[in-house]
Amino acid sequence: MEIPLTELKEGETGVITRIEIGFGRGWRWGRGIRKRLADMGLTPGTKVTIIRSAPLNGPIEAHVRGYKLAIGRDIAERIFVEVQR
Amino acid sequence: MEKRIRVALAGNANVGKSVIFNQLTGLHQHIGNWPGKTVEKAEGELHFKGYTIEIIDLPGIYSLSTFSLEELISREYIINERPDVVINVVDASVLERNLFFTLQLMELEIPLIIALNQVDVAERKGIKIDYRRLEEILGVPTVPTIAIRGKGIHELLFKVIEGFEKGFRKPAPIKYGSEIETRIKMLEEALRGAGLRYPLRWAAIKILEGDEEVIKEVRRVRPEALTLAEKMAKEIEEIHGHPCPTVITSERYEVAGKIAREVQRILPTIKLPLSDKIDYLTTHKVYGYIIMAITILVTFYAVFGLGNFLSEVLTNVLYGYETIFVGILGSGLLRDLIWGGVIEGVIATITIALPYIVPFYLILYALEDSGYLARIAFLMDAFMHKIGLHGKAFIPLILGYGCNVPACLGCRIMETERERLIAGFLSTLIPCAARSVVILGLVGKYLGVEWALYLYVVDLAIVFIFGRIAFKVLPGEAMALIMEMPDYKTPHLKTVIKQTLFRLEEFLKIAFPVIVISGLIIKAMDLLNVLYIVSKIMSPVTVVWLGLPEILGVLLILGVLRKELTLILLATLLGSQNLHEHLTPLQMLTFSLIVMLYVPCVATIATCIKEFGWKKAMLIAVIEVFFAILLGGLFYRALMALEIFR
Repeated sequence: MEIPLTELKEGETGVITRIEIGFGRGWRWGRGIRKRLADMGLTPGTKVTIIRSAPLNGPIEAHVRGYKLAIGRDIAERIFVEVQR
Repeated sequence: MEKRIRVALAGNANVGKSVIFNQLTGLHQHIGNWPGKTVEKAEGELHFKGYTIEIIDLPGIYSLSTFSLEELISREYIINERPDVVINVVDASVLERNLFFTLQLMELEIPLIIALNQVDVAERKGIKIDYRRLEEILGVPTVPTIAIRGKGIHELLFKVIEGFEKGFRKPAPIKYGSEIETRIKMLEEALRGAGLRYPLRWAAIKILEGDEEVIKEVRRVRPEALTLAEKMAKEIEEIHGHPCPTVITSERYEVAGKIAREVQRILPTIKLPLSDKIDYLTTHKVYGYIIMAITILVTFYAVFGLGNFLSEVLTNVLYGYETIFVGILGSGLLRDLIWGGVIEGVIATITIALPYIVPFYLILYALEDSGYLARIAFLMDAFMHKIGLHGKAFIPLILGYGCNVPACLGCRIMETERERLIAGFLSTLIPCAARSVVILGLVGKYLGVEWALYLYVVDLAIVFIFGRIAFKVLPGEAMALIMEMPDYKTPHLKTVIKQTLFRLEEFLKIAFPVIVISGLIIKAMDLLNVLYIVSKIMSPVTVVWLGLPEILGVLLILGVLRKELTLILLATLLGSQNLHEHLTPLQMLTFSLIVMLYVPCVATIATCIKEFGWKKAMLIAVIEVFFAILLGGLFYRALMALEIFR
């Protein structure tokens, strides 16, 4: 099942399927952000485990490729993952 | 002949690169800025085995694309300056992401040496790396290091000398999937002989990735290659179902991951590392904010407590020389100009800069180096989004309550120039300590603390509104928080002190000339009695629009030097310490509001000029003056109409 990264619960892992940034509902951001995400290791097929999310609709902190990355919620909502249980 | 070797240090952020730089160069270093850029440039030198080794510490970055100024600067340096060798500092505990960067350096076809740093941290995390195997796979000499304890630094130098004497081997760039590889080859052919300053293969890959800088250059010399690249990028997108740049980055990561898995062994760790426990607490939805509030309060208390004390001591010492000066200069015009104009300005700078800025930076850099600032940014991201910025900008804004100068300089932690400008602009609207002195000493003292608090609330609202406007008006891509959360570690004291001293030096260089010159001008105006004429000229604004006594116009001019002067001089000008006998409550409020908002002091303006250029700095200053006057008048009229103080 494909869901946005923000819908994963703490401790759950998902595999990135697509990143809707630079088009569709993610039109506000351009290729720069897309490239940045990829450079930080968020590419299709990457495993992401949620560590925690900040309160008040804040960013999420996730485990990616052996390190911890904070991603703003607005961006994380546009990253879609296949849940692994 | 002297033998020189030019070495560049490159690597991700938070990998201990500056520690290695400090270990290598010791005291023989110079920190400055890249020409015309607000990015720090650290250079140093050392002598080893008859060689002079020049070292340049490139900014910490995650990739060699053009996302940030730092990335672009590093890339341009390597391509244009062609150092003899690049030492790539790699964090052994985050091998995969670090190797992703290494692979990009290899694609630039520059001689490389890898410093596999923090192997001790990696081992504590249960990661063991076979560095010889890594060396073999990459074909790049690799030295394991523990920089904070100086381990491996010597071996690193030996490798540099050895490579230099025997000739460095250029590393072989990685291979992509065949569907990409054949297209790279064709693009290489299309670009051949075009006279680009880049390695051919790298340029071919970059135009496939849609790299704007490289595309710009290719467009001038070989536009037809771009048409071909665009077509190929579409084909690759069709094959993979993802945009071409993503596919290429993805493959690079694939290779990095494969190498990482092959050379590292991961043992399960039983104990939760201390770093993770602190991480849990400092990002907790309740404790996290409590810890943050305490940290900020303690920082301010320490800075101002210590600062006030030091400031007083320094002031007394420096003013002790006044009699000597008067003795030398006599008591004529010259004395007034030199003492009142120049020396008092210098004293003001020393008594502000040293006592407050030094402790401020020490604490700030220690917090940054420890990894805590990233947690603050994480906690405050949601809030900062409301004003069109993201979590990282919270730090400069908070600094602004102390002094706007470090706040403006602190905006460098933002990635793009657009964000730096927004954050810098907003931080000049934050009432600094000097403005707080006026607000509390006038409104707080005579009208009650609640009125002072209202002013702060009004200020926050203004920051909020201006933030939204700047976010909408300024061109450029919307930004978002994408930030590494580094593991907690003990700050490296030497590195922290060096950064602080550099900042101090930088501040003094900006502030001294501006303060001295403007002090001279204002003093001269004062001596020629021009100030009173100016305040007469200003009276339509001050008296008619703002409802203030005419004499206050003088203060608004002098306040540009140092805002707290306005309060001190107010008593002098009115000839009484009982200000409420001369000013109505409404006038006090209006006056404080204007002091809070109209142009920051000269030191801040100078910093803005340095960070954002003349045009933008002047624009900020002009906007703020007009806005302060406009709002002040409206405020005055609104409160009059509401008859709050009648």
